[in-house]
Amino acid sequence: MKETPVLSSAEKKELRLKRIYLLLPLLSLALLFLLWILAATGTNKDSFPSPLAVWERFLLIMKRPVKDYTIFGHVLQSLRRIFSTLVVAWITGISFGVLTGWNRKADALLSPLFTAFRSVPPLAWIPLITIWFGTGEGSQMLIVYTGCIASIVVNTQAGLKNVAKMYLDVGTVFNASSRQMLFQIAIPSALDAVFAGVRTSTSAAWMVVLAAEMLGGKSGVGFLIVRGMDSLDLPLVLMSMIFIGVVGAMLAVLTQIVEGVLCPWTRKKSA
Amino acid sequence: MSMDEKKIRLRLEHISQSYVVKNEVRCAVDDVTLDVYDNEFLVVLGPGHCGKSVLLNIIAGIEKPVAGQMFLDGGRLLKSDERIGMVFQKLALMPWKTVMANVEFGPEVRGVAKGERRAAAQKYIDLVGLTGFEKAYPNELSGGMKQRVGIARAYTNNPEILLMDEPFGQLDAQTRYAMQEEIMKIWEMEKRTLVFVTNNIEEAVYLGDRIVLLTRCPGRVKQVYPIGLPRPRDTVDPQFLRIRKEISQNTDLAL
Ligand SMILES: Nc1ncnc2c1ncn2[C@@H]1O[C@H](COP(=O)(O)OP(=O)(O)O)[C@@H](O)[C@H]1O
Ligand SMILES: [Mg+2]
Repeated sequence: MKETPVLSSAEKKELRLKRIYLLLPLLSLALLFLLWILAATGTNKDSFPSPLAVWERFLLIMKRPVKDYTIFGHVLQSLRRIFSTLVVAWITGISFGVLTGWNRKADALLSPLFTAFRSVPPLAWIPLITIWFGTGEGSQMLIVYTGCIASIVVNTQAGLKNVAKMYLDVGTVFNASSRQMLFQIAIPSALDAVFAGVRTSTSAAWMVVLAAEMLGGKSGVGFLIVRGMDSLDLPLVLMSMIFIGVVGAMLAVLTQIVEGVLCPWTRKKSA
Repeated sequence: MSMDEKKIRLRLEHISQSYVVKNEVRCAVDDVTLDVYDNEFLVVLGPGHCGKSVLLNIIAGIEKPVAGQMFLDGGRLLKSDERIGMVFQKLALMPWKTVMANVEFGPEVRGVAKGERRAAAQKYIDLVGLTGFEKAYPNELSGGMKQRVGIARAYTNNPEILLMDEPFGQLDAQTRYAMQEEIMKIWEMEKRTLVFVTNNIEEAVYLGDRIVLLTRCPGRVKQVYPIGLPRPRDTVDPQFLRIRKEISQNTDLAL
């Protein structure tokens, strides 16, 4: 494209549009907040807490923790739980995905097992896990594991199966060994797929950990929300929900940033 | 120097390649016999889809021909060989590697120590005019610059025979002329045996010591033209134009 005055006015227009596109989401959020206030004033105070009631509940839990933890404490408990599980899931899932995505024999041998496992939705594992292992920390992590392992495996596998032939041709011309083909070409070229898996598994883990904590956990936001339900403490429920949403969104942004740091070439492409 | 004095580096004998597409055998390269001499600039000229890339891929060991034999310095050539390098038509730069990492890939694969391969890579990065872009990623570069990275990568591995598959095919005319001069300059500084594929007659006459003209699908050797014009060549010189016309009258190329 050439630098012409026409383009610079188009750029100005684009800048204006950009500002509008930044403002619109804020507007819709403000609208939601307004609706919340209206709904809360129009209905029974106990069944629909107002923003103010939620705020007060927040101040209260900061002063008087529920089961030893403030809301931030519970969020951290849940985060600790998902990340200690995710690390295990990433290591095992990426290894499995690389093995079956790269080696056809391993694929034929192991992938049917994985498909069978994956056909059962993660939540369906909960009763079995609870009966066998109880509701302790280990079981909760196992539930999270069943919830996040599939996406990491599937994405890694796809990444390794779809390595562009031209990169492998480069390896052939330079006489790369099969080990070099895998570690220098196939895995790096699959990294964006692996990262898609990392992102999806993180958000899946954040969802499933709540379910796990609701079943008799002693800490975490899932526990907190059930505690609110049991004691009909709706401000507590609503506040937990807000934190779950905000933390979920932050996790999505965080994984994106980590991907940009670890795979700088993807960052520069989108810029 | 006459042709018969020259040493044969690479010899192709009756090379054919065909593929089965939808239960039909489709011939891509048909009975190509060809000698490539030491340090010559050989241009393989042919229309699109006539099997030029297939032919280079066979020489590079990326695919095996259905028939025929190849010899490098008299010995059978059966698989990819370190003495043969390639500049790819689709560039095939690795987007996850910086310019430096892409260029030093060959020696890295061979296990050359870091300092040594960096020095080799830097030499060719400088030679193709990419000094200062060592840390850039391929997708930050223009088409012409990417092509330079591909050329530097091939040279850095120090091959004796260099295959170039339509390296300038994607470039605009301006950049293309600049790169043609550049590659000529590099070839004169760093004598190698070059097999250069193109579908552009002018480019072929500008660059080649010899031009091997292929037929339209499947690729067969139609004629070999030795080009004796002195370098640097002038694309509007009457001699140049005469050769160019002679070749274009003999081809199915639209030009
Ligand atoms: N792996 C393949 N399978 C089937 N057909 C192929 C394959 N590779 C090349 N061809 C066909 O062979 C012909 C020659 O291709 P190519 O060598 O790429 O042409 P070009 O001369 O433009 O480089 C084309 O018709 C192409 O479709
Ligand atoms: Mg081609």
